[in-house]
Amino acid sequence: MTDRIERELELPSSPDEVWQTLTDPAWLTLWLADEVTLELIPGGEARFRIGDQVRSGWVEEISPPDPAVGVGRGSGRLAFWWAHDEEPASRVELVLIPIEASRTLLRVVETRPLEVLDLVGIPLPGLGGATYGPALVAA
Amino acid sequence: MASDAAGPVFSALADPTRRRLLTAIAEQPATATELASQLPISRQAVVKHLSALSDAGLLERERSGRDVRYHVTPAPLSDAVSWMAEVGGQWDERLAALGRTLSR
Repeated sequence: MTDRIERELELPSSPDEVWQTLTDPAWLTLWLADEVTLELIPGGEARFRIGDQVRSGWVEEISPPDPAVGVGRGSGRLAFWWAHDEEPASRVELVLIPIEASRTLLRVVETRPLEVLDLVGIPLPGLGGATYGPALVAA
Repeated sequence: MASDAAGPVFSALADPTRRRLLTAIAEQPATATELASQLPISRQAVVKHLSALSDAGLLERERSGRDVRYHVTPAPLSDAVSWMAEVGGQWDERLAALGRTLSR
């Protein structure tokens, strides 16, 4: 199915520097949202205010860049789920791929069912215990 | 209410064979006979799974001669197209902002 967005951007920074822009609320407010709460643990709260819209969800995975991983391979991964009001929740995955010491590729993938059907049933905190499955019929 | 309709959708999608069928039909509408020839299960089993997917509102039936052709309910698909356009545009803007921030 096609509910999937993928974007890549090459950045003139080290993986550690890019990682900071993905995980430090002070940096996140410069590009992702106006206000950010991000608990940097699996299951932690993720809350973003973008204009007058609030998106809330939770952190699925958070793995900082590992210098031992070589160039061209994924090193540093943040995955979280977010949803606005009753809208279907979606999963955002941000992956860092080192190119050289001060160049890093950032890959963003945002997915909604049916791409991630195997995860049907995962509870989504902040939505009254709803899961994202109902999105299929609410759409 | 979405939550009332969630039950049948969950049970319909809980089964990996039904997910495969739904994915196959989303790519190309098909009859039960056609689907049975693509998958290692009997036509009878396919019909049963299609019935569960239809009951959950995920598939629609269309008469095709003596057979019935199944296709994915169009509403979620057209919704998917607008979702991709909107979400894709948002990421383009965010990444442009991130690029400007880190290039300073």
